[in-house]
Amino acid sequence: MFNNVTIMNIVYTIINLLILYFLFRKFLFGRVDKILNKRMEEVDEATKAAELAANEAKETQRQYEQKILLADEEKEQILADIKKQGYDEYERIVSDAKKKGEQILVEAKHNAEVENAKAKEIYAAELTDMVIDAASKIAAGRHSADDDKELYDKFISEAGAKDE
Amino acid sequence: MNISELIHEILLEDKTMIKLPFGDGMFDIKASVVHTWIIMAVVFVLILILTSNMKVHNISRRQAAVESFVLFVRGVVKGILGEKADRYTDYICTVLIFLGIANLSGLFGIEPPTMDLNVTVALSLMSIILVEAAGIVEKGVGGWLKSFAAPIAVVLPMNILELFIRPLSLCMRLFGNVLGATVIMELIKGIFAPVLPVPFSLYFDIFDGMIQAYVFVFLTSLYIGEAVE
Amino acid sequence: MNLTALGAAIAVFTGIGAGIGIGFATSKATDAVARQPEADGKIMKLLILGCALAEATAIYGFIIALAILFVK
Repeated sequence: MFNNVTIMNIVYTIINLLILYFLFRKFLFGRVDKILNKRMEEVDEATKAAELAANEAKETQRQYEQKILLADEEKEQILADIKKQGYDEYERIVSDAKKKGEQILVEAKHNAEVENAKAKEIYAAELTDMVIDAASKIAAGRHSADDDKELYDKFISEAGAKDE
Repeated sequence: MNISELIHEILLEDKTMIKLPFGDGMFDIKASVVHTWIIMAVVFVLILILTSNMKVHNISRRQAAVESFVLFVRGVVKGILGEKADRYTDYICTVLIFLGIANLSGLFGIEPPTMDLNVTVALSLMSIILVEAAGIVEKGVGGWLKSFAAPIAVVLPMNILELFIRPLSLCMRLFGNVLGATVIMELIKGIFAPVLPVPFSLYFDIFDGMIQAYVFVFLTSLYIGEAVE
Repeated sequence: MNLTALGAAIAVFTGIGAGIGIGFATSKATDAVARQPEADGKIMKLLILGCALAEATAIYGFIIALAILFVK
């Protein structure tokens, strides 16, 4: 059992082990580690890139939202402007119409007064005619109290008829 | 086959395989060393085939298997070694893989190199050197010497004895297990029909071989982890 | 038959200790796993360590028996 054990064979085995260790380290662990490290780097890079892209997207979204907010404000502004314009126009039209109406009314009143005055003049002229007529009649006829009275009555009734 | 003959053949026969013309037999190469060379050559070719053309993306199944195997072995070893002794992982992994293949080589008709005391003595010597070297690297020579008297001075002889007992126990455990398994397997093969030994072979050759490889590596890692603490 | 064979047989009795030790270790490990199934990885590790250490005595007995028988 122990007769086979020699120092040189132990040394050979130790050398074998060391050679095996270096072979493993160089060709198995070294290569696998290289691949794993590369992959890790790539994953890191990809993660970084993804983070960057996410940040950019967030920024863009923020800007977009701001823009939308601005657009909303603008819209409101425009709407308000339009409303105001509309009101102004409305007011203007209404006031114009009012003015015109008043003018028309004034004119109408004026016309009516003129008409009235004309009618009064005509009436007065007729009255004058009648008075002249009556006076000429009186002057032509005989003068008496009865005649006068009758004449007055007639005049009054004629005037009243005319007045009606 | 006579048991006595068998054991004589396994234990007492001169295992010299290559005689060298100088040194009066001192440099003669035993069968176990030649078997180790065969195993090394096979492993080297296997590694070259398996790790050639490794890519970062679109990896082949072969590469995935190699990667997961390496990560698995490393995970096992690192779990025992701990954080501080991380740098010895590669050597321990090498020993684990070598022992696993060596213990299984009985299945392929090669006498397991671990059945020879030369190999197990060399392995345990390497282990104890590594353990003490790890202690020296971690604590310095002074701290390493002091650690023999820790926690109290009374345990000093025990600790010095341990320096020899540990490698002896490592070496004898591995050697005895593989030798015992081989002897029993030879006996079973001699007694029973050719098919019947298969479950026994599963236990003695594969399970026991793997367990012993793991135990050797486990104890070595444990000692290293203890030494660097 | 000389006395060396008897010596070898006695040396192999170390197997009793190893058997009892491994039996204890496994029984306690089973208990522990039953109590804490989530810690089975650690328990397994310790069990293997304990078994290896206990088994070593049997192996020493075996080697000593062989040495008694065959080493002259």
